[in-house]
Amino acid sequence: MTQFLNYAVPGVPFGCVFALMAVGLVLTYKASGVFNLAFGAQAFVSALAYVSLDQDGWPRWASTVIAVFVIGPLVGVLLDRLLFRRIRTASPLVKLVPSLGLLVALPQLALIIAGSTPSIPPPAIVGNAQRVYFHLGSVPLSGLELSISAATVVVVGVLVVLFRFTPVGLEMRAVVESPRMTELAGVNAGRVSAFAWILSSIMAALAGVLLSPLYSQLDPQNFTVLLVWGVAGAVIGRFASLPLALVGGLALGIAQQVIAGYMPAGVIANGLRPSLPFVVLLVFLPLARQRQIDDPLSSCDPPSSASEAATAGFRSASTIAASGGAVHAVGLWHQRLEDLPGSRMTGILVRRPTATFAWAVGALAIVSALTWVPPDWLLTMNQGVAFAIIFLSLTLLTGMTGQISLCQATFAGLGGFMAGQLANHFGLPIVLGMVAGGLLAAGLGVLVAIPTLRLAGLPLALATLAFALLADNILFPNTWIGNGAGGITLPRPSAGPVSFAAAKPFFLLSLVILGVCAGVVKLVGDGTMGRYLSAVRGSELAANSVGIDVYRLRILVFALSAALAGVGGALFGSLEGSLSANDFGYQISAVLLVVVAIVGLGSIAGAVVAGIVYTTLQVAVTSLPSRFAGLVAVLFGLATLSYTRHPEGFLDFLSGRVQTAIADRRAHRLGGGPDGHGPVDGGVGKRPTASPDPVIGGPG
Amino acid sequence: MTGGVQRDDGASRPLLVADGITKQFGGITALDHVDMEVAAGEAVGVVGPNGAGKTTLFNCLFGLEDPDEGTVVFDGKRIDRLPVWKRSRLGIGRTFQRMELFEGMTVADHLLVAEQAASGTVRIWRDFVHRGGPTPSELHHVEQVLGLLGLSDLAGRPVETLDLGHARLVELGRAMMGTPRLLMLDEPSSGLDADDTGRLARILGETRRTTGVAVVLVEHDLALVESAVDRLYVLNFGKLLASGPVDEVLADPEVRKAYLGSTA
Repeated sequence: MTQFLNYAVPGVPFGCVFALMAVGLVLTYKASGVFNLAFGAQAFVSALAYVSLDQDGWPRWASTVIAVFVIGPLVGVLLDRLLFRRIRTASPLVKLVPSLGLLVALPQLALIIAGSTPSIPPPAIVGNAQRVYFHLGSVPLSGLELSISAATVVVVGVLVVLFRFTPVGLEMRAVVESPRMTELAGVNAGRVSAFAWILSSIMAALAGVLLSPLYSQLDPQNFTVLLVWGVAGAVIGRFASLPLALVGGLALGIAQQVIAGYMPAGVIANGLRPSLPFVVLLVFLPLARQRQIDDPLSSCDPPSSASEAATAGFRSASTIAASGGAVHAVGLWHQRLEDLPGSRMTGILVRRPTATFAWAVGALAIVSALTWVPPDWLLTMNQGVAFAIIFLSLTLLTGMTGQISLCQATFAGLGGFMAGQLANHFGLPIVLGMVAGGLLAAGLGVLVAIPTLRLAGLPLALATLAFALLADNILFPNTWIGNGAGGITLPRPSAGPVSFAAAKPFFLLSLVILGVCAGVVKLVGDGTMGRYLSAVRGSELAANSVGIDVYRLRILVFALSAALAGVGGALFGSLEGSLSANDFGYQISAVLLVVVAIVGLGSIAGAVVAGIVYTTLQVAVTSLPSRFAGLVAVLFGLATLSYTRHPEGFLDFLSGRVQTAIADRRAHRLGGGPDGHGPVDGGVGKRPTASPDPVIGGPG
Repeated sequence: MTGGVQRDDGASRPLLVADGITKQFGGITALDHVDMEVAAGEAVGVVGPNGAGKTTLFNCLFGLEDPDEGTVVFDGKRIDRLPVWKRSRLGIGRTFQRMELFEGMTVADHLLVAEQAASGTVRIWRDFVHRGGPTPSELHHVEQVLGLLGLSDLAGRPVETLDLGHARLVELGRAMMGTPRLLMLDEPSSGLDADDTGRLARILGETRRTTGVAVVLVEHDLALVESAVDRLYVLNFGKLLASGPVDEVLADPEVRKAYLGSTA
C-alpha cells in the first residue's frame, strides 16, 4: 500500500492537469458541438505568456492573472467568434480540420510573436516549485505539486458552486445535457456557449501555466501530449459528463505514474505510459458513441427548418445548408455521371478545361526539372513528389470515405523504416523494399482499423491520433525499426547496370512511382469501390441495406491508404538517404491532413499540388530568420479558417471559378440562357443562328 | 399466430417467419411477442397507429435492431444474428420511412451500386483490370428496372435534384436490385400526393406481377394498403391486435377502435 502510494501520490498533480483539460474539452464539446483540438495550443499560448512575462520581471501574481484570466479567455472567445460558432453543425471533417490547423498554427504564431522561448523554468504560481514543503507518508510534496493540486481544488470548487447555485450554471448544465432542448426552452444557447468557451479556455490556460515549471524549455509538442491525455479523460467522461471527465483525468494521471513505477525499466515501460491514452480510447470510445445515441434529440441536430422537415429527411438540402457546401468536399468523385445522359455508366471523370491546363503545367515542370532547374530545386521538387504520394493516401481515405486519419505520417515512417531495414540487413533492392514497406503499412493499417473503424468521424480521428502517439513511443525508438532520433540510412535504388542514385534518374523513378500510386487511386475512385464508397458517404444505413459490407470496405480502404503512405515514406527516405522518427512524428500527420484539405482532397491533382507547395514553402522558410521557422505551420493553420467556407479545397474552388468564368463567357458569346452554361436545353428559344461550338450545341 | 392465415395452396414453406419478436427500449416495450409470416410472392401489410412498433418490427426483421427475444427465419435459414448486409444479400430489399439516398450519386448509379453489392464481392481486382465498369448483365438489369419505374429519362440525374415522388421510386428501385425475394417498404407513400401514390401502387403491382417478389408494406394510406396487399397485420402498443385478409381485419371492431378511433 505504501509502495502504491509512493507511486500514486506524485501522479495526482498530473491527474489534476489532465482533469482540467478533460473537463474543458467536454464543456466546449457539449456547449458548442466542436471538439476543440486547439485546446492544447491554447494551453501552450498561455504557458508561453506566463513564462515570458515572468522573464520580463513581472510579479508572479500578475503574470498568472494575465496569462490565465486575460489571454486564455481572449483566445477562446476569438476562436469561438471567428470560427467555431459557424461550424457547430458541419460535418466531422469540416469541424476537425480547423481545430487541427489551430493546434498546429497557434503555438508557432505565439512563438513568432514572443520571438524566443525562455529557457529557464518559471516558478510555480504559488510557493517554490522545487522546495519540499511536507511529506505525505513518505512521499515528499514539492511546491509545484502542491500548487497544481491546490489550484485544481479551487477550480473544481468554483465549478461546483457555479453549476449548482447560479442561473448561468443551470443553463450551462442544460446545454451540456441537450443544447437543442435548451434552445426550445427559450435559453440563448449561443450566449451560454460563449460563456462555456470562456470558462473552458481559462481551464486550458490554467493547465498550461500550472504545468509550465515542469519543462526546462516550452515545446508545443509537450502540450499536444497534454491534449491527448485530456482527450482520453474526456472520452472516459463519454464526451458528456463533467464529473466523469474530471475523475477520468485524475485517474489517468495516477495510473500513468503507477504503471511507470511498477513496470521494470526499459522500452516497454517507457512506451506503455504514453500509450495509455490509446488503450483508454479503444476501450471507452465505443461507450461514448453509445451514449450519444441515447440523446433523444441527437438525430435532430441541427434544428431543422420547416422546409427541410417537409422533405422528411431527404438530407441533401439540410446537409448542404448546414455545412456551407461541405458535401462537395469530395469534389470529383461525385460528378462522374452528372453530365452523361441516360444510363451509360462509365468511369470517366468530367473533362474540364482546367485539366488540360494542369497537364500542361505538369509537363512543363517535368521538362524544366530535367533540363535547367538547379540541383537543390530539383531535390525540393522530388521531395514534393514523395509527399504527393503520402497526400494521395489522404485523398483516398479522407477524400473518398470522409474518414479522418491522424496517423498517416506514422504509416509513412513505418513504410520507410521497413524498406530501409530490409535493404540494410537483407540486401533487398530498395524498390522492392518500398513495396514491402507499403505492405507492412497496409498490414498495420488493418490492425489499427479493426478496433477503430467501428468508430467514425471524431472518435476515429482521436483513436488514430492515439495510435500515432503509441507508434512514436513504442515502435519508432526500437533499433530494429526506426532507431529513435538517430534514424536509419536508406540507399537509392539501382537495377543491374542502371542506377537511380543521381538526382535526375531518381526524379524520373519517383514520377513513375507517383504515377502508379495515382493510377491506383483513380481506378479505385472510378470503379466499383469508388461507387460503393460514394454510397457509404451518402448513407451508411442504405449502403448496408443494399448489401455493402461497410466495415470491411472501410478496412480495405484504410489498408490501401496506409500502403500508399508507406510507399511515399519509403520513397522520401530513399531520396533523403536517411530517415528518423522525427521525420514522421505524430504531429506531422495533423499538418499533412491540414495541408491537403486546404489544397483539395477531391482530386489527384490536389495531392500533387499539396506535395509541391508543402515542400517548397518549407524550403522557402529556411531563408528567413530562424524566428520564422514555424511560418509554414502558421500559414496553413490559419488557412483552415477559410476551409470552413470552401471545404472543397483551394484547387476545386479555383477550377470551379475558372470554369464558371469560361461558361459565362461562352454563354454570353452565344447569347445563351441565364444559367451560365449555354443553351444545353434544345428547346430554348434564344438559339444562336450558328453555333460555333459543336460541343454545347443542343439536339435539333 | 398462424390461425386464419390464408395461403396459396402451392406454397410449401413460408418465405419469412418471425416468431415471438420482443424489443424493449428502456422501460418501454416496443414489441411484445409479435409473430409474422410471409409466404413467397405474398404481399402483407403492417398497419397501426403511430408508435405501434411498425418500424421497430421492420428494424428487427432487417437487422437494424437486435430483438431481445424471438427468432427470424428467412427461406428456412435463421437470420436474426446476421448483420444487415448479409440479410440484404440473402434477398431482402428495403426502403426507409426517412429517406436514405446516396446523396451526390445519379439515379442509375443508385441502382448499379445495389446490383453490384447484391452479388457480394468488393471487386478491387476487377476494378484494376476492367476499370470498374458494369457488366452487360448488370447494365441490362439496371435499364430494366429503370424502365419498370419509368425513370429511364432521369437516369443521369443526381438524386438530390429529384422531387420526392421520384426519389421514393429511386429508393424502391434500389431495393429491387439483385432480384430480392422480399421487399420491405416502410411508408413508401409518406409525403407523396395522390398522383404519386397512385403511380407507386401501379408500379408495385407491376413489380409483383413480373418478378413474383413478396412484399411487406408498412403504410398509413389505407387506400394504398387495400389495393396493394393480400393480408394485414395490425399492431397496437407493440402487440399484434389482429391479422388476416384485408377486408376481414379492417372490419374487426377492435381494430377500428384502436386504429380508426371509431367503434362504428
